[in-house]
Amino acid sequence: MEPMSTTMSDITTDTTTDTVIAVDDLRVRYGATLAVDGVSLAIRRGEIFGILGPNGAGKTTTVECIGGLRTPDSGSISVLGLDPRRDRDAVRERLGIQLQSSELPDKLRVGEALELFAAFYPEPADPAQLMEMLGLTEKRTTRFANLSGGQRQRLSIALALIGRPQVAILDELTTGLDPQSRRETWKLIEGIRDQGLTVILVTHFMEEAEYLCDRVALLHHGRIRAIDTPANLGAGLGQRISFRATPALDLEQLRALPDVRAVNEQGGRVVIEGSGDVVAAVIALLVQERVVPEQTRVEQSTLDDAFVALTSEADAELAAASSAEAR
Amino acid sequence: MTTAVSSSAGKPPQQRRGGFPSLTLVELRLLAREPMIMFWALIFPVGLLVVLGSSTSSKPQHSYGGLRFIVVYTPVLMMFTVTLLALSAMPATLASYRDKGYLKRLSTTPVGALRLLAAQLSIVVGLSIIVVVLIMLVSHFAYNVPLPSQVIGFILAILLTMTAMASLGLLVASLATSQRVAGAIGGILFFPLMFFAGLWVPQQQMGSTLRAISQYTPLGAAVPSITNSDFGIWPGTTHLIVLAAYTLVALRIATRFFRWDR
Repeated sequence: MEPMSTTMSDITTDTTTDTVIAVDDLRVRYGATLAVDGVSLAIRRGEIFGILGPNGAGKTTTVECIGGLRTPDSGSISVLGLDPRRDRDAVRERLGIQLQSSELPDKLRVGEALELFAAFYPEPADPAQLMEMLGLTEKRTTRFANLSGGQRQRLSIALALIGRPQVAILDELTTGLDPQSRRETWKLIEGIRDQGLTVILVTHFMEEAEYLCDRVALLHHGRIRAIDTPANLGAGLGQRISFRATPALDLEQLRALPDVRAVNEQGGRVVIEGSGDVVAAVIALLVQERVVPEQTRVEQSTLDDAFVALTSEADAELAAASSAEAR
Repeated sequence: MTTAVSSSAGKPPQQRRGGFPSLTLVELRLLAREPMIMFWALIFPVGLLVVLGSSTSSKPQHSYGGLRFIVVYTPVLMMFTVTLLALSAMPATLASYRDKGYLKRLSTTPVGALRLLAAQLSIVVGLSIIVVVLIMLVSHFAYNVPLPSQVIGFILAILLTMTAMASLGLLVASLATSQRVAGAIGGILFFPLMFFAGLWVPQQQMGSTLRAISQYTPLGAAVPSITNSDFGIWPGTTHLIVLAAYTLVALRIATRFFRWDR
């Protein structure tokens, strides 16, 4: 058996921009509700692609369709050029899936679990090597029931990688982990990406997506609201500058400035949000009015802000649509 | 391998090495770590055999169809064990796997439902064979219960019994929505099945209607087949057909309705 690292790094020498997963107009219905409502995605080889959204947004349903665990009502999915339902076995050999909250038998030992799953695949990774990589070697003979949350999560990642997949789907990877274990898990995922794997990361932690993902799709009520890099999604919202003003400042003057979107007063601080040159414009006004800003803070909008903005926008649309319907 | 990675897409997957042997081995290990199951399935029946064999009359009884008590009860004890393994231990295990999400986890691998069910089936049949042989040997050498002289008939009858019960177990495991439900269904089925086997009232003492009904239940068909084989009589063809029918129907429904997920 070849060592894992050789093989994986070879994959990266392929064209790095080709699409490994293509989802087109995916729809899944649960009873009366559309859990997934026209999702289209193109995931490139070697990237960490985040699928973000609040609970019930349709994230898990989407990846379960990609993994062939669920049959969509309509739409098409191609995984490495294969159909997850029709070419079920071929896809399963090439796709590693870490499922949200799936446990192993209590008395199954770590080493046994990896040996067992290795036997399912045609060319598995070396269990000992994977245990080493994920820091599980010492836990080799520990039963699943006696593992900590972080150790279970690492075992789960190991099992998703045991078949030497080309694509790994990791669903709610760090939910329930303490901050320390979460950071460690992130490092692991970065390590996996560096080996050339394509990773789909399902999460509702903005921080996680910002730290790990090359691109993210924001999913809300079964629809994709935006797909971009985390930085671009934040930048689209622009910047926020806040300070304590002495003497007090006429907020209307600020609102009149170009590029300013919103001006608020929060706990004695003036908070201005805007795009483009909003910071420069505000500072010029302060100088002109001889106002001294204290405790000034300038922040680039984050993915978190982008998410809140997009979801509240979508909620407002929905509310408007349903009230229009009611009428 | 690497070149194959990108180019093998679309080609049929390479022929797969097992998964079945590993799955069976691991499941056996897990079973060996369940002392309660091992006690009830292996030690309890043999212990009960010794207690019954040592404490009951060694004279043939008219009420047992002219047979000794222990001769009548040996096959009943065999059925007791097979039923316990097939209808109680195995469905509970599979249902707990489903509750935990372990079955769903397995469904993301190329292993497939067939191998999983085959592994469970082989374990039930394998362990059943061990216990049945154990009971047979102890009852023969300690209490002079005749070894089956109709060997082929006996093997056929006992194997069909095991597959019928294991298939019923898989059916329970497939239909049960949780481990608790699996336990309940297994428990509810256990009593009528064992009743018709003659655990409480030997078939020889049942009324003619009851006895007729029992011949169409899996264990009611199994027990006389085995007793007959002990005395060199070919098990009734109807009995064998009944057992085969239970196996086929239960397996068909079990695989049709098997669910990986809750």
